This record gives sequence, structure tokens and C-alpha cells, in this order.
Amino acid sequence: MTKNLLKIDYEKYSLSNGLPVILYPDLSIPLAAVNLWYRVGSANERNGKTGFAHLFEHMMFQGSQNVPKEGHFKFIQEAGGSLNGSTSFERTNYYETVPANYLELALWLESDRMGFMLPGLNQEKLDNQKDVVMNERRQRYENQPYGLAWEKLFSNLFSQDHPYSWPTIGWMDDIAKFELDDVKKFFEKYYSPSNASLVIGGNFDKSNAKDLVEKYFGEIKGTAAIPEIETPLQSLSKSKKIVYEDNVQLPRIYLAWHTVKAFQEHDAVLDLLSDILTSSKNSRLHESLVFEKQIAQDISSFQYSGKLDGSFIIASTAKPSITLEKIKDEITKGIDELISKGINDDELMRAKNNIKSAYIFSLQKIDLITDHINHYNFYLNEPDSFLFDLSRYEQVTCEQIIDAAQKFLTKPLIELNIIPKTK
Amino acid sequence: MIMLNRSVIPTPAKELLFNIPEIKFLKLGNGIDISFVHKKKLPIVYSEIIVFSGCRFDPTEKKGLGYLTSLLMDEGAGEFDALQLSEEFEKLGTVFSVSTDHDTAILSILSLTENFERSLELVSKIVLKPRFDEKDFQREKKKVLDRILQLKDEPSFLASSAFEHRVFGDSYYGFPEIGFAESVARISNDDVKNFFARTFTSSNAKIVAVGNLDEKEIVNLFNKYFNEWTTLSDNNQNFETSKRGKTSYYFIHKSDSAQSEIRIGHISNKRNSNDFIPTRIMNTILGGQFSSRINSNLREKRGFTYGANSSFHYYKEIGLFEISTAVNIENTSEAIIEILKELNGIREHISEEEINFAKSYLIKQFPSRFETLMQIANNLESLLIHSLPADELINYTKKVKSATNEEVKTSAINNVLPDELVIVAVGDRKKVSDQLKQISGAEPIELDLQGNFIT
Repeated sequence: MTKNLLKIDYEKYSLSNGLPVILYPDLSIPLAAVNLWYRVGSANERNGKTGFAHLFEHMMFQGSQNVPKEGHFKFIQEAGGSLNGSTSFERTNYYETVPANYLELALWLESDRMGFMLPGLNQEKLDNQKDVVMNERRQRYENQPYGLAWEKLFSNLFSQDHPYSWPTIGWMDDIAKFELDDVKKFFEKYYSPSNASLVIGGNFDKSNAKDLVEKYFGEIKGTAAIPEIETPLQSLSKSKKIVYEDNVQLPRIYLAWHTVKAFQEHDAVLDLLSDILTSSKNSRLHESLVFEKQIAQDISSFQYSGKLDGSFIIASTAKPSITLEKIKDEITKGIDELISKGINDDELMRAKNNIKSAYIFSLQKIDLITDHINHYNFYLNEPDSFLFDLSRYEQVTCEQIIDAAQKFLTKPLIELNIIPKTK
Repeated sequence: MIMLNRSVIPTPAKELLFNIPEIKFLKLGNGIDISFVHKKKLPIVYSEIIVFSGCRFDPTEKKGLGYLTSLLMDEGAGEFDALQLSEEFEKLGTVFSVSTDHDTAILSILSLTENFERSLELVSKIVLKPRFDEKDFQREKKKVLDRILQLKDEPSFLASSAFEHRVFGDSYYGFPEIGFAESVARISNDDVKNFFARTFTSSNAKIVAVGNLDEKEIVNLFNKYFNEWTTLSDNNQNFETSKRGKTSYYFIHKSDSAQSEIRIGHISNKRNSNDFIPTRIMNTILGGQFSSRINSNLREKRGFTYGANSSFHYYKEIGLFEISTAVNIENTSEAIIEILKELNGIREHISEEEINFAKSYLIKQFPSRFETLMQIANNLESLLIHSLPADELINYTKKVKSATNEEVKTSAINNVLPDELVIVAVGDRKKVSDQLKQISGAEPIELDLQGNFIT
């Protein structure tokens, strides 16, 4: 049953300007979803100019030649749709889900800003969005307990010139400095049909959709191919510890190791290892630190992997009067025990079952499905990779889990301690 | 090459017809009502057991009892201890969770259809045979106390809970679900057991089920596992309405804040009030979505914030009108002044164009509120909590369409009351109190972290 469900019946083709288009009709719902990925993210930035891909994403909602400021939101919302965008290390996505009869409106809006964004641009809009983004940075990171942990971690895990070493939202000083000319150059370089991919899912007629895509996107010019970023895999020659004081009541420890890129060997294994260590009440580290010994308030872990590199991270908050050394000792003990004594089939089966269910649950939402299709197209050049992806997990053995723990989690690491302010 | 004339805004293709899925109202052998929707597309089922328990039954000196009880419910049941029970759900790939608020405790299950029966059997053990072992109690209570400690770090929690306390006073909506350090410290495991026995009764329960089982299968399964659940509740908590006062300014000190967290609002009507639909239209214009007046002003025009919104939240016994935002601390007074302008402005003028936009938004987004099983269930849940007929959903779009401009304008006059506001800002004392003093008529009062006056 899972097989049929996860087989995505799609059609993929390209416009003459190089825009790949993937159509995934599903006539059982009254909605249509448009999902557009641009192959650009914070990894395309450099020191001194960080945060620009994300700020640019904001600018994409500020209007274009035929769409007024905020018009994107107004038009889509008036049509009863929902919309947003997001920026990560290596891609920026824009998406809207609309009642099926408004598909053309969404394509008009997306194509206007893909081809004709610059005429809508002015200094006032840029200044406004710089303020908004600086407030986003304050709200989501600076004013949150432990909110700066990720940027502390990644800027130490990766060398200073590595594209993963700065946060996607950027450093505050850099955000403040951007100018209109930066917006123009960035747009001209990265925002073109040949550097994007368009997925349409939901209730539409395929041939009509093809006509509409040609009508709105066909005349936008493609640009020269942008070379992929190349950077050697990083490793740490020795462990490093960073201590940061924050407005927190309880100290928290983060441990981070270098691992592997997305979809490479060990990537899925490390996802499962993370589940086995911390995903539920009776996962190993949770049971030991939170449930039995009660030295930690919480514990979590994950394998974060992208196109250029990957890392495995464990984070845990200490209970009052418990030291972070103690927490670290117990985490290390748990990992050592997993390596020396192994895991049982039952643990692995539970982790796999949860991943399988989560896949099926995710098929309820057309915006998630279309984003997933773009994700697979981006990393694997094959939109219909749901089954392949799931099989990566289903094939994992207990031995592979132990090997991965041994291979990656016994290497040098970055340790970050976020501790209550001492002053 | 002739370029496309892009100034032409595309018009929608043929009108979209949408009917909400058929809702069946069924009854179990033990008398519990089930609202059910049959959804066949995917092999999954979502169900909620909604119990009108919740922290409104918390004794004054033991705030947090309902919340702690809901945490302990699935720490072992029947033959399974806490870890074994969690393992049983994981084997099935079922997502089970318990949530609690002031009015309800809700047990929710999301599972593959093939594993729904076993999942339900496990949930029946939680409802009928919870263990409430002392060691689990001690652990979870400590976890709650440490969580309460951590909440001191979270400006948005501090702002919301102080705001709710100033708005609702000592009525049961005026306290955070999680309780306070000193009140949770007083709770014993016997309190938890008694709370559960007293409030977690079948006579207090309703069920919602959505998914790929037919009506007979669903009823049979619930009857099979929940037939013995026939307990009565001896207790009905009275809600004492608090009153609105004249506009007051409060602040809470949080050192080194990068922003101030702001909450503004007052008590409002219940969900079943006649002007629910006009009020929703009005709030859509005021602060209910991205292009609203408040967000456009504070974010898109002035860049004070990443986002600002207003909402009407409906508790079972009362409503709450609330504007929420976090702004650069230097802009605190300007932001509040602009919000006040918008509150006065919506009472003075609403254009037909804005009303048409809001109606279009609400009507056309309606089908997307039925996309996932959980969304469908939430719609049903809302009918149950507010004792509303299915007609609320069936004729929702018609009602939005037929609301008159006059009704929308009147709803602003009746439900947005700039002279009766509670205004709370959380930020660094010096900066935030200086900022508030710049607002004409403001005499800012400092509150402690629980939203009480500092004496």
C-alpha cells in the first residue's frame, strides 16, 4: 500500500529559457499549489555581505513592475490563498496555495517578480525591509533564550570562509549595510528561470497549466549557468569548547561533529541514530538523562545535512545545580555504550516505523508535497523520490548505526556551553 | 517578439464549488457523542477525545494541577509502565499526545488506519487505567517546576501571561495553565488522582474522529474499548466574569532585552455571540492577516517589527481581544501610539473595499480549512467546545457573504474599546518605562513576573 501511495505521478519538462517545470495533478482536492525554488541561499554569500539572500527574499514581496508593494499578499489573500517564502543555506523558495481556479493569478505574480522585479524597487522599500529583518533577527534570535546558539556553533564548526559558517539571517552589521545596488546585482545573477525550478501540484488540467506556464514564464530570459559552489569537506583536528553567557536560568550544552552531505552514504543512518538517541521518552539518551537520572530537563539531536557538508548535533539543558560536564559525561557514556553493546532490532524498527508514518501523514498537504518534489529535484534531480528516500531508511541495519556512531561521534567536536550570566 | 501585457490581472477560471465533508453525529453505547467525518483518500485516521476538564478546575492554591495531571496521564497505564507505553505507540508509528488548556484536556491520536485499533486500545488504558505512580509524579512535577523557572527567560510568555492576568483578574482564565512555582510545589500525587477522577469523566467527554474508517467501524471500535467508561462528573465550575477597566499601562522588567514584547486588548464577547461573523470580518481588516491595517502600518510602513496582529480568541465562557507584537525597544511608544490610532481608526471608518477584501479572503480560504484530517477535526472540535450546530460550518460562507457593511462597522464600535485596554510591555525597565511615559495619559505600573503589582 505504501508503494502506491508514495509513487508520485508527475511530468517534468523545461521551457526554452531553461526553467524546469514539474506538474503533479491531484484532482481530489479543490486547491492548487505553486512552489518555486531558486538555487541560491546564504551559502552564495561571503563575509561582510551575509544575510543578503534572506533580505532579498523579503524584497521579493515588495512588488515588481506590475505588482504594487505588498501586492503579492493582497492578491493571494483576496483569492483565499496562503503564501510565504523561506531561505536556507542553498536555496530560496516561494510558494502559494490557492483555490484551484486561481492558479493563473499565482503564476502571474511569480513570473512578474522572476522577470520584472527591479522596476518595482526603491530605496524606501529596502530601508523598510532592512528594519523588518533586523527586527526579525532580534525577535527570533537575540531576544530568545539560547537564540544565538546556532550561529555560535556553526561559526566555530566551519572555518571562517566556509559558506555554512554564518547564519542565514546574517550578521546585524552586514544587514544594516546593504544597498540598492546589491539588490540589483543579486537579482541579475541569481533570479532567472534557468536557476529556478517550478512545481505545480493539485487540481488543474495539465495542458492548460502548460499553456499558462509558457504564457507567463516563457518570455523571461535565462542566464548563464551558475557554477556550483565547491568547497572541500571540513574536519576538526582537535576539539574546541566555547562558553557563552546568556539571559538563561539553566545552562545548556551543544555538541557538534562534522558528518556527511545530504543523501550521501551515512546520511539516513545518522537520522535514524538521532531518533534512537533522543526522539522519544525511551530513546537512549532521553531515558538515561531525563527519565532515569533526571539530570537534564530536555535533550534533542539531529543530523543536519546540505549540499556542501553535514553535522550531527546533540543539545541538552541541565537541571538546576547539575554541571554541563556531568551532562557531557553521560552523553558520551550513552554513545560509547551504543558502540560497544550495539542496539536491538526493536529500537531500529520503531525508528523506521515512525519515519514511514511521518511520510504518509505528510501527504495530507499539497504545499508540503510540492515542496518535497522540489527538494528531491534539487538534490537528486528526480522529483519522484519519495520511495527511494524511504528505502534509504528501510535498508539501514543495526551494524550501520553502530558504525556511523563510531565513525562520526568519536571524532573531535565543538562543544558550546550557554550559561547564565555571571554579572 | 511581442511581450505579454502583464498589467492585466488574471481573473479566476470558473467558479469553484465546495461543499464541506458530511459530518455525522453519532453516539456511543455509554452515551458519549462522536462527531465523525469519513475521509478516504489516505490510509490514516485522526481522533480526539475532548474532555471538559482543564485548568479551570485548579484549586486557587494549586494552580497547575490540571496541566500536571495531563502530563502524568500517559506515564504508564494498565500493564505498561511509562517507557513501555511510549514504546507501544512507537511500534505503531502512531503520534499520541495530550494537551490541556483552561477549558479542556484533549487526547489526540494520529495513526495509520491499520494501526488505529491498537492505538485506540492503548488510549483506552490511559483513560480507564492510568497508573499515576509516585516516581513518575515526582519526576514530572520536578520537570514542570524547572520549566516554570525557564519561562522567566521567555519574554513572549511573560507578556502573554501578565496580560491575561490583568484582563481576567482572579477568574480562572487569568492564570497560566502551567501554574506557579509555589502552587505546583503544593500539589501531591493524590491531588492528581483526585483531579483526574473528578474531572476526567465520560459525562464530560466528546469525541471527534476523521479518516479512513466508516461510521460503523469507528463506533464499534470506540464501543469495544471505551464501553466501561461511564463516570459522572459531580462538579461544574462557575465562571465569574471579570470586568473591563479604564485603559492602563503596565510593564515587566526583563534585563538586556533586544525588543519589547507588547500585548494590548480586553475581554470580549463569547463565540456564540450574534456578531461573531461581522467581528471576524472587521478583525481581518484590523489585524487578522498580513495585509491588515496594523501589520501594514507597524511592519511595512514603519519597520518597527517583524510582525503585528490582532485576534479574537474564544474561550468557552468568554472572548479575548488581543493585539500582539514585538518591536525594537526604541520604538515601543511609537508602536503603541500607532496601534491606538488603528484601534480608533477602525471605529471611525471602514471602506467598502476593505470589507469586500476581507469577505473574499474569508470565503475563498474556507475550503483550505478542510485539507488535513487535523484541520477537519479542529473545525468539529470548535463546534463541540462552543456548543454550536453544524450549520456554523455548512452555512459559514453564506453568512460571511450576507453580513452588511453596517454590521461590520458596528462590530468595531462594540468590540474594539480603546478606553478600556490593558497594555503590557516586557523589556528593560529603564528603557521600557521611559518609552511608556512618552505616551500621553500613560502612568506605567511595574508588575512582577506573575503579572501582580509590586508592593
